[in-house]
Amino acid sequence: MEGYWQLLPELIVIGIAITALFGDLIPGKDRGTALLGAAASTIAAVVVLFWGTAEPLFGGMVVADETARFIRIAVAGLTAVWLLWLAGRDMAGERRREAVALALFSSAGGMILAMSADLIMLYMALELSTMPAYVLMGYKRSDIDGLEGALKYFLLSMLTSLVMLYGLSFIYGLSGTTAYSGISLADTGALGIAAAALVMVGLFAKMSAAPFHYWAPDAYAGAPASSVAFVSTVPKISGMAAIVRLVAIMAPDLGSLGILLGAGAVLSMVLGNLAALPQSDLRRLMAYSGVAHTGYLLLALTAGTEIGYGAVLFYVVAYAAPSMAIMLVSAEEGSSLTDFAGLAARRPVVAWAMVVWLLSLIGIPPFAGFFGKLYLFGAAIDGALVWQTVLAIVMSVVSAGYYFRVIREIFFGDAPESPAEVERSIPASAALALCVLATVAIGLGASPLMQALGFSFP
Amino acid sequence: MSLLTTIVFVPLIGAIVTALLPKARTDLPKKVALGFGLVDLALAVMLLVRFDVGAVGMQFTERLNWIPEAGIQYFLGVDGISVPLLALSTLLTVLAILASWKIEKRTVLYFTMIQLLAVGMNGVFVALDFVLFYVFWELVLVPMYFLIAVWGGPRREYASIKFFLYTLFGSVFMLVGILALYLHPAGGTFDMIELAARGGSLPTNFQWWVFGAFFLGFAVKVPVFPFHTWLPDAHVEAPTAGSVLLAGIMLKMGTYGFVRISLPMLPDAAASDFWTWTIGVLAAISIVYGAAVAFAQTDMKKLVAYSSVSHMGFVMLGIASGTVAGINGAVVVMVAHGIITGLMFLLVGMVYERTHTRKIADVSGLSSGVPVAGGLLAFASFASLGLPGLAGFPGEFLTLLGAWESDLSRGIVIVSALGVLLAAAYMLWLVQRVVMGEASPIVAKITDLNAREIAIVVPLVALTFGIGLYWSSLLRYVDPAVKAMLTGMGAI
Repeated sequence: MEGYWQLLPELIVIGIAITALFGDLIPGKDRGTALLGAAASTIAAVVVLFWGTAEPLFGGMVVADETARFIRIAVAGLTAVWLLWLAGRDMAGERRREAVALALFSSAGGMILAMSADLIMLYMALELSTMPAYVLMGYKRSDIDGLEGALKYFLLSMLTSLVMLYGLSFIYGLSGTTAYSGISLADTGALGIAAAALVMVGLFAKMSAAPFHYWAPDAYAGAPASSVAFVSTVPKISGMAAIVRLVAIMAPDLGSLGILLGAGAVLSMVLGNLAALPQSDLRRLMAYSGVAHTGYLLLALTAGTEIGYGAVLFYVVAYAAPSMAIMLVSAEEGSSLTDFAGLAARRPVVAWAMVVWLLSLIGIPPFAGFFGKLYLFGAAIDGALVWQTVLAIVMSVVSAGYYFRVIREIFFGDAPESPAEVERSIPASAALALCVLATVAIGLGASPLMQALGFSFP
Repeated sequence: MSLLTTIVFVPLIGAIVTALLPKARTDLPKKVALGFGLVDLALAVMLLVRFDVGAVGMQFTERLNWIPEAGIQYFLGVDGISVPLLALSTLLTVLAILASWKIEKRTVLYFTMIQLLAVGMNGVFVALDFVLFYVFWELVLVPMYFLIAVWGGPRREYASIKFFLYTLFGSVFMLVGILALYLHPAGGTFDMIELAARGGSLPTNFQWWVFGAFFLGFAVKVPVFPFHTWLPDAHVEAPTAGSVLLAGIMLKMGTYGFVRISLPMLPDAAASDFWTWTIGVLAAISIVYGAAVAFAQTDMKKLVAYSSVSHMGFVMLGIASGTVAGINGAVVVMVAHGIITGLMFLLVGMVYERTHTRKIADVSGLSSGVPVAGGLLAFASFASLGLPGLAGFPGEFLTLLGAWESDLSRGIVIVSALGVLLAAAYMLWLVQRVVMGEASPIVAKITDLNAREIAIVVPLVALTFGIGLYWSSLLRYVDPAVKAMLTGMGAI
């Protein structure tokens, strides 16, 4: 029975999520609920950190290994940062209490997803982590564009979920079990690869990988930037962990899985980066650049090696922290690039923080993104994916082109006549400071993180 | 106290202190920056003195585990090739700070950026771990971007982003090369000394490709024709201090990369016909092309920028030769060009501050209007064209000598030697137009250099004489290191 206490962090998160539904009764209403949620997430992360790992639970459906621990901490930690920010800021003019509950449910889903070692568990956890995201994306009820985007996201996501479920059923049929440990797709021929392809369709869509990324720019551009900050990062971390687990069991049996992943990687990198270049809305820009980053991640997955898997998990966290932070600032300042004009004069500290996050996303050392890319591209070269890696690095330079447009706007843009007045807020500033800290610390202090992940390169 | 770490990170402390200064006190940042810069220079001089000139191998090494999970170390050290460059970097940083004394726009940011740049420049010449090297290598891009983009000329936004993207494009290929070496079974480490020792055991075909990746990274930085197009834009738009550091130090990072990385780690590729020919031919083209384009310039700063392309061509020629004389010459040109071009850009900047024009046609008769400035500009021009007795001569002489001795086609050497003639021609023509003759209306109204400005150029003038007359004192440092490297490569 002892092992079931492993799930205590998830229970805390779900418990507080349910409590948050009664936010009207909580002192401080919105702010109090958000702070409570942030505290719960932080406690959950700390419990995971110290509880360590355990034997598989529920007959092997849930595996709390090192990978799961790393991802659970990242998911809970980043959710805490988001909730901390939410405690200090308005969210598209709506009540925030429900958003706290939704984020916590999604976060719990993500934490469970990181531990899933069974097809049923995978599907349920994946849905739990994305369902609340649909609501968050359409959080501003009065905004038609936002609702359209959210609906698009919902429909495409449901459709691809069902396609994935269809694929999962084939895998079950072929191996006779839903447990990862029993799945064997060796010598299944075309049916095996078809099943894997169907599953990948679902996961690609959730990760906004090309060619299933079309929902992302519209959904992001319609949604409040604060919602995008959460939806584009936290579910991505756990989703990537789920893909890593699945690929790790399927890749040895299916040689052609690499072709699927490789094609997705190349398409995502090229499409995402090129489409991000002309964007003038930061949410769209980040949506397309998110596609591109998914492409880099898939590239390392294509290698199908332990280094590749470790690099993917490292990078997805290194990507998520600055990415969330940029969208949070966008929620404060406005989502058009011109809204950032003159930010350096208005809020110099935030302006320099933006520089740190953007440089990290480009992959400039010594920030988190550089080490992430070092490992990703290293894994790809190690897997003999040389031309794809060269393409990836060229695309990184392209990405510098559009990320620098943001920097240019911040420092050299003509300030709008009536810039957004941003009030001082201690929780929101603390949340942004944590993101800077994470971006720098994951870079300079990569070593402890890699130890936690059990990842060494090569 | 570890000397190299201190030299690298004193400017970082300076940058942090500067960044925290109150914005209202616009006069403080430059003083703080100068203070830290002088401390750094003093430490570098101490390093030059304490450096054991005859000894082979790296000195003052420091080694710590940084990210052991990925074999990344914090590993520093210097040899006779890097010591002069490190010292030059600290010297030019001080002079660049002094040359920026009149900057009034956002001084806190400006001097923070100059000092951050110094961290990167110093770091590149002492890093012996590949990842650490790359960190420093990229670290210079961001401050230089801001220096050009905030304090630059009218087309600063275009020039700054072009500079950033071009050099980033080159350096990411270098990253592929670094990873390829690390992941190859015969490489397997980020330790640059170890890699140089293992270099010969790598398969030739593999070396050939990795050499290509590094070539792209370094050639953009040097810059070698046809990768040079970012340079004139960056130079023309950059503030004086930016130009001085760009031409004086940052271009040398590229050629230093060839000497420290490409040659010793990939000896078979470096000796292959394809790469020696490619580098040799591109070097000759850079020399002649840079000189020819310099002829056509009407803007003094652009002229100096193109002359840099030409002079850096000599460095590449020496590298292509693969001989002791050639590589000795390459390092000597690196140091000498840093000094002379630094001097040129400083003087052009001082003239520009007064006349607000860099047009050669508008500025004439400096020697009759402002004799000190005119005389110094003439001196710098003579040094630049390679007058014997001044610093420009020995390096170019040695590179040509080395190239003649080597297997390179004599044609390449003869064409390159033509570049010396061309340099004499365009520099003398510049002197004739700008220094000689009647003072133009603009020049007649300006004042001559003040004491601060003379103090800035005096060290460079002294070094120009010093290296020109006693180049053996520089070669005492360089020669043993070059010989050790070539012995390691099996070339001698």
